[in-house]
Amino acid sequence: MAELLRMEGISKRFGSFYANQDVSLQVEEGEVHTLLGENGAGKSTLMNILIGLYQPTEGKVYMRGQEVEISSPGVAVAHGIGMVHQHFMLIDDMTGLENIILGDKRHKSARLQLAEDRKTVEEIQERYGLEIDLDEKVSDMSIGMQQRVEIMKVLFRGADLLILDEPTAVLTDLEVQGLFDIMRSLTAEGKSIIFISHKMREVMAISDRVTVLRRGRSIQTLRVADTTEQELADLMIGQKFQENTYQKVSAPGAPELTLKDVSWHPEVKHGGLKDVSLTLHKGEVLGVAGIDGNGQSALAQLVTGLISPDSGEVEGPDGSKIAVFSPQSFIDAGLGNIPEDRNKMGLVGGMSVAENLVLKQTASDRFSSGHGAWLKMGAINDFAEQMREQNDIRCTSVNQTASSLSGGNQQKVILARELESHPKLLLAVYPTRGLDIGATEFIHNQIIAQRDAGCAVLLISADFDEVLKLSDRITVLFEGQIMGTYTGANPPIKEISLAMAGK
Amino acid sequence: MAKKELSAEERQERTLSILTPVVSVLLALVIGAIIVACLGKNPLQGYGAMLQGSWGDASKISKTLERSCPLIFTGLCATFAYKCGVFNLGGEGQFIMGGCATACVILGGGIEGPAGLALGLLAGIVVGGIWALIPGIMKITRGLNEMITTIMLNYIALYFMEYVYKMMYSDQGLPKTVAMPKSARLADLAGTHVGVLLAVVLGVVVWYVIFRTSFGFKIRAVGMNPVASRVNGFPVKRLVLLAFVISGAIAGLGGSVELLGRTPYRLADGFGSGFGFDGVAIALIAQLNPIAAVVVAILFGTLSTGGTMMQSVIGVPTAIMDIIRGLIIIFAVAGMAMIKLPKIRAFLTNRKQSKKTEASA
Repeated sequence: MAELLRMEGISKRFGSFYANQDVSLQVEEGEVHTLLGENGAGKSTLMNILIGLYQPTEGKVYMRGQEVEISSPGVAVAHGIGMVHQHFMLIDDMTGLENIILGDKRHKSARLQLAEDRKTVEEIQERYGLEIDLDEKVSDMSIGMQQRVEIMKVLFRGADLLILDEPTAVLTDLEVQGLFDIMRSLTAEGKSIIFISHKMREVMAISDRVTVLRRGRSIQTLRVADTTEQELADLMIGQKFQENTYQKVSAPGAPELTLKDVSWHPEVKHGGLKDVSLTLHKGEVLGVAGIDGNGQSALAQLVTGLISPDSGEVEGPDGSKIAVFSPQSFIDAGLGNIPEDRNKMGLVGGMSVAENLVLKQTASDRFSSGHGAWLKMGAINDFAEQMREQNDIRCTSVNQTASSLSGGNQQKVILARELESHPKLLLAVYPTRGLDIGATEFIHNQIIAQRDAGCAVLLISADFDEVLKLSDRITVLFEGQIMGTYTGANPPIKEISLAMAGK
Repeated sequence: MAKKELSAEERQERTLSILTPVVSVLLALVIGAIIVACLGKNPLQGYGAMLQGSWGDASKISKTLERSCPLIFTGLCATFAYKCGVFNLGGEGQFIMGGCATACVILGGGIEGPAGLALGLLAGIVVGGIWALIPGIMKITRGLNEMITTIMLNYIALYFMEYVYKMMYSDQGLPKTVAMPKSARLADLAGTHVGVLLAVVLGVVVWYVIFRTSFGFKIRAVGMNPVASRVNGFPVKRLVLLAFVISGAIAGLGGSVELLGRTPYRLADGFGSGFGFDGVAIALIAQLNPIAAVVVAILFGTLSTGGTMMQSVIGVPTAIMDIIRGLIIIFAVAGMAMIKLPKIRAFLTNRKQSKKTEASA
């Protein structure tokens, strides 16, 4: 088979951070080539370089042996590269046909050439078995058909290389089979597909070859026929088992929070919870491992009182059932929360660092007189300075807006605020996402210090290494269900990584 | 109170946020002058007349302040709501309903004297608050957009007022109410009425509540990030509702003060007309700072009263003043948006730095 695409030594640097470093990828004509990697492994960056949204810092791209410079998305289309994004880019109020021809520049005329375009589209449809109702509005289509419209858009523009970014994430099993049929007929006609996924089963079923990315580097390219799910999982997560730097707790204290058969919108596969039972003990870190979008958000919202369960029970430390689900009542009961999205949920970006540090306590006697009638600006400022010192929050002034801080420092502000109240239960969701090594280390130390002080810690993270490093027990969430709970000391990594993939 | 130490960026931001409205006003005046010149009149003479007509002597000053007074109330009404992220465009309706409530209490209840004054003002506050509570409830329970509901309620208020002055308390069948009894009016104060003082004091109080109390802190937090506020345990819905009510109460009080403080002391066609939207503009130009809102409202009052004098002296229509006012709004809002653009920020920072390096070299 002839080579279609070769990316050589691609590096992409943002500031001092390498999103891609010396990545190589080679795709042949008529193959399905999977890009496998965890979140943040650099898959999106690499694909954004390929479709012209980013320019690589270093490295070369060849199409059919010719070196090309993909300086804009338009150039990528001209070279026959098309991408189907995970989140569809369709206009709901337009029909399938209108969406397909939208923005296409083949006709010189200012008038729409609907009849001619319809003929072209129908030909492509027939050739690849893409079933689309061209006259139906996108808003009335099933998700599967919307996806076919996206694929058609790319084919209509003459793509030879299709990038499908986690196309199965939104589909039912039956729709996945349909998609695979389409992919096979495409490759049979000589088109090439870059398939992005982290679902091992699907990767094994559809790919010809797999390139594994980890931490921005391409680790290895293998033929699917010559490998196993096990090997791929190992490669994706990294064989090097990270040295335990923290002592694991084997005999934790009394239960702080117990979930019994809790369900919340269980019909939603990627966002609901189904019969989740877990117990969180004082003085232990319970790590929740799993691939993003398998109910982690719902679990976090439940533990912070933002949602109440549809069925099942949540019990407090004394074994009594919790009846009121509101953030305030959970905070009063001693919850500390490092939320999933620090800008959206953790900080008020337009307010100053000092204001964010005292966010929950403005009515306390320490920071105001008369229960909030007069804020003690001096006390707030002093407290902020003290927190800044203790937590090494790097800012030019505590009166600077929180949104102007770097991610790591924003996280330190949240951590300082949440730990200052000495929580009984600490929820940490993706606590180090996007942070550099130094800030990550600091936050890990703080979490373990809380554990050692007797706080119950629930850690939810998509970073498997982080879960392994911090957790005393590890539980795996897949499609809203608990797949199993494992010990944190000498964890059975292979078993856990398979559980994360739903096996 | 500890003195805040400001970083260079903050100082720059603060300077820009004061500079932008000032420059906007100057630019608008320059363009206004060009228009006047195009009409073949002398703009300097015109602006002279404007100042003369608004601040020339004691009686003119008091007239200007009287004209500014309702604008201060509606400006504060908009400011308070926007601080909580609520786009209350119903200041006018709340203002009118406040006036109607006062009229109904005093004329309908036949209460005169200080009791009438006190009850009249109280009724204005309560009814103004209720008039804003309605869109508030619709927003937090059903998610209806308050920009639409508050505007619609303006019309209901307008026609309700018409009913009041035509059908309920009409002065001998004329389309205006009977005048408020003298004993229930607001006291005079240096040629104007105490309502002006009340408005200015209210500006300071609103500033204090927003920036120096825990309640105001939460209001601001909700306005800037409702999700984080909820996660951190603030009763977001209750705070939003309170913001509606307080904002409406301020406008309602404004209506009462206008009715009891300013000649002709009656409800009639045109009462409160345009004050709501002027209030919105004032709040935006003042960048949601209550004290600045008072200043901007007085500027608007100046343009209003001065415009009449300008018309009589150099013979240009008062519409020029409306144009200038419109230009101020456009420049201020566009300027505000512009200084937030990353490119402009980078440019300003670079310029500052290069200046520094030049100075050191």
